Parts: sequence; structure tokens; C-alpha cells
Amino acid sequence: MCTVGGGPDIGNIESLATRDYECQDCKNQFKGMGRRPMCPSCKSRNVKAI
Amino acid sequence: MHLLFSADEIAYLIGKSGTIAIAKTKGNFFYLETESEEIVLFTEPEDLMVASSWGLGEDVMRGLACTIYQLRELGAPLIVLPKGHPASSRLKAVVSIGPRTRLNCKIEPGTHPKQDVLCACDEFHLMEVLARPGGAEIVGTAAEDIDVVIKGL
Repeated sequence: MCTVGGGPDIGNIESLATRDYECQDCKNQFKGMGRRPMCPSCKSRNVKAI
Repeated sequence: MHLLFSADEIAYLIGKSGTIAIAKTKGNFFYLETESEEIVLFTEPEDLMVASSWGLGEDVMRGLACTIYQLRELGAPLIVLPKGHPASSRLKAVVSIGPRTRLNCKIEPGTHPKQDVLCACDEFHLMEVLARPGGAEIVGTAAEDIDVVIKGL
């Protein structure tokens, strides 16, 4: 989940629970968060955490 | 309070000085742009987009609908402002995406992507919006204090 309404007592961006992914179909690499990763480039769900 | 609305509808919560718009994410992904990186946010179909604005009336509702439409249907990115950015005070709408959003009137708008906290006007302070199959659950606020309007997007 995310918000663009944060507060002064909220932690740093670096602490976001993101993972790096690579799409196994188009080799696009991206940073993502959430339970159902999908390649934002080709829309494939054949992605792997790297 | 339980709200029932379809994926093509928006539920508006109208208070005394502010308006909240709630819609389904339809399982789409969203681009989250911070100062230094781009993060792709993945969602479940029943997850919610919650947009908050400080104002009332048809113009505000249309503005919130446009915000949701741009993000969900056009793939516009969510911009995260650095803390203390001068544009924070000029934002007309802020958005949270996920299964749960907590409203708070004591935070700075538009500054951070991490938590499920969204700024809102006083009457929505400490209210929670929870994703539920076919709609949303609103907790932490008196139902008689807000009007609910459900409209097509």
C-alpha cells in the first residue's frame, strides 16, 4: 500500500518494503511492492525477484 | 458502515468541509515516483484507491473522479513530494492505494509513500477505510456525520 499523504513522523523512503524484479519474458528490471507482481512493460506475470 | 459499489463506481463520503472518494483498483498497478526512484505498486482487484480533498460540491467530486481516472485508467504516476516541499500546501487532492487507509488531519499532505495514512479534513480524522469484497468498510466515524453518494466513474 502507499499514500501521497504522509506525515512528519513517518520514516524514510529508504525503508519502503520494495523488491527488485526481472521479467522473464522481456527482461525488464523494476522495483516493486505488493503481492501480485507484474511486469509494467509487457504485463507478464512471469517475473522473478532478483 | 458498509459501502457497496462496483469497480466502475466511486463512493463519495461528504463531510462538513471535505470529501473522500473511494474506488476499486481493479487489480491495476501504479507508478510511485519518489525523488530518487520509481516503484511499481501492485494491487489486488478488491484493493481501494482513496482520494481526499478539502472542499465540497460538484467541482470537488469531479476533481476527485478525474484524479482516480488518471491514475487507474490512464496510468498516471503518483508523485511523492519530499518532506517540506512548498507544493504540499497547494495540493488539491491526495491519494492512498491499498487494502486499508487511515485518515488523519494532522499530517503534511503529499510527502511520503510508506504508510497507509492519508490526510483529510477534521471530520474524517482517525477514520479507516477497509477493502471488502464488493465495496468497503468505514470504521471510526459516526455515520450521521457524513453523507454517502455513489456515482459511476
